[in-house]
Amino acid sequence: MKTIISARSLCKKYGAFVAVDGISFDIEEGECFGFLGPNGAGKTSTVRMIHCVSPLTSGTLTVQGLAAHVDNRAVKQQTGVIPQEITLDNDLTVRENLQVHAHFFAIPRREARRRIDGLLQFVELEKRRDSKIDQLSTGMKRRLLIARALLNQPRILIADEPTTGLDPQARHMIWQRLRQLKDQGATLILTTQYMEEAQQLCDRIVIMHQGRILKEGAPARLIAAEIGREVTEIRAAADQDETLIAELGPLARGHERAGDTLYFYCDDGRPLMKKVLELDLPATVHRPASLEDVFLKLTGRSLVE
Amino acid sequence: MNFSRRIAWVFWRNMVSYKRFVLTTFLASLIQPLFYLVTFGIGMGAYLGQFGGKPYLYFLVPGVLTTSVMMSSSFECMYGTFVKMIHEKLYDSLIATPVSAEDAVAGDIAWGAFRGLVSGSLMMIVAIFMGILPVSLLSVLLLVLLMVFVGVLFGSLAMIVTSFAPNFDFFNYYSELVITPMLFFSGVFFPLDKFPGWMKALAQFMPLTHAVAVARAIFNGDYSRGLLLNFLVIFILGGAAFYFGVRRMKKRLIK
Repeated sequence: MKTIISARSLCKKYGAFVAVDGISFDIEEGECFGFLGPNGAGKTSTVRMIHCVSPLTSGTLTVQGLAAHVDNRAVKQQTGVIPQEITLDNDLTVRENLQVHAHFFAIPRREARRRIDGLLQFVELEKRRDSKIDQLSTGMKRRLLIARALLNQPRILIADEPTTGLDPQARHMIWQRLRQLKDQGATLILTTQYMEEAQQLCDRIVIMHQGRILKEGAPARLIAAEIGREVTEIRAAADQDETLIAELGPLARGHERAGDTLYFYCDDGRPLMKKVLELDLPATVHRPASLEDVFLKLTGRSLVE
Repeated sequence: MNFSRRIAWVFWRNMVSYKRFVLTTFLASLIQPLFYLVTFGIGMGAYLGQFGGKPYLYFLVPGVLTTSVMMSSSFECMYGTFVKMIHEKLYDSLIATPVSAEDAVAGDIAWGAFRGLVSGSLMMIVAIFMGILPVSLLSVLLLVLLMVFVGVLFGSLAMIVTSFAPNFDFFNYYSELVITPMLFFSGVFFPLDKFPGWMKALAQFMPLTHAVAVARAIFNGDYSRGLLLNFLVIFILGGAAFYFGVRRMKKRLIK
């Protein structure tokens, strides 16, 4: 594995506001690397620096051995970006959107036509090639954004919350397409707040919070290390904490209270569940641990604004 | 400043979208100047008799033509660019490609200038149909060239305004406090010589004054040495406005 993107003490400030606070990470060629975090964690700011549309405040960032900075066209030429917001050209048709974009990458006309036909097929929009953008559903628009991001056959594909606002079908289709691209050897960088998405797609993730990286690793390993295998949620008033923790605490790896729920984390939940039955606690959910638990444990279960 | 040939492709993008509403814009850019020609030119012109040895329309047409270049290029680089930047997020997708912010803004200024050229040329065609002809074929070519310069000048000035604009209403300040006064105080409808001295001096600070003076001289083949100064003002101010327009917009686009 070769490192394709490397950041050291990367900082981004907007005036006095620190969006990215001295983070370091390495992304390997061909992997899917995820930036997870609540809104305002600094994910988008980080990827914007990677694809050279936002200047670094300090630190170093190299992409394929080239220093990332705003005017670096060489990096942009090899990067595809699926933006968070739908930035399609509403005055143009589906096909014209792609044609115009191909010119920006200096793709020869005939080659562009070939790629556009292929990509429209890839995202299943070949029947809508002459539609105006406002005639497309949100899912179709997101797919078109994927096709647009692939026009230059990028070695690095950045997907910034690519499935926000989509129905489950459209989401699964986009995940399939992204996995397909990864199988073809593209390096995928994903930002998301959907833990399921990260678990589905990412080989490695970092969890960001307030501009810092809290944890880094493979999703499964992070779950095992931070939470364990299983989680038991008990809806109970906070005044019962003392008794519940005295009874159940020794059977779990850890516990946490958030709002009306007490969480117990364990590797083997059977002894704990037996106890729960003995104590007759009906409002209890027992389930496998997920990345969401890691995320909430690290970034706090209360609302982050 | 980081320019490349991609400016042409940004321009091209506008061309592709333009083909859908080209007729509407023809109508919009013709109506107002036509009213000026009819009301001032034919209606009022009838009372004015000869104007420097020629009918009044020969005085009025180059003024109105230059004004319509100013209007079109200004509005394109204000409302057009603002919509593309804020509402359509088009600039965001442009600068994620090898297009630089400078390319994107320069492409749009070029586009504004082109829109100005189209409006001005339409005006010239209408005038020709009314029998008001530029003095020679050379003047037609020179006028086209001038319209490009004037378009870049006003497109760039508008771009500076856009770079500061928090919303649409902001553009009212520029059009009411700058564009409209220029229309009436730059010698479009009547010569400036009868103005009091301070007004004449003020007019010299209006870029449209210089543009109209050059256009009128070319249209009527009436060259004088003072024109060189007028042209230099257009050229230098245009260059400076272009530079600052691109720089200011880059500052707004790249964060």
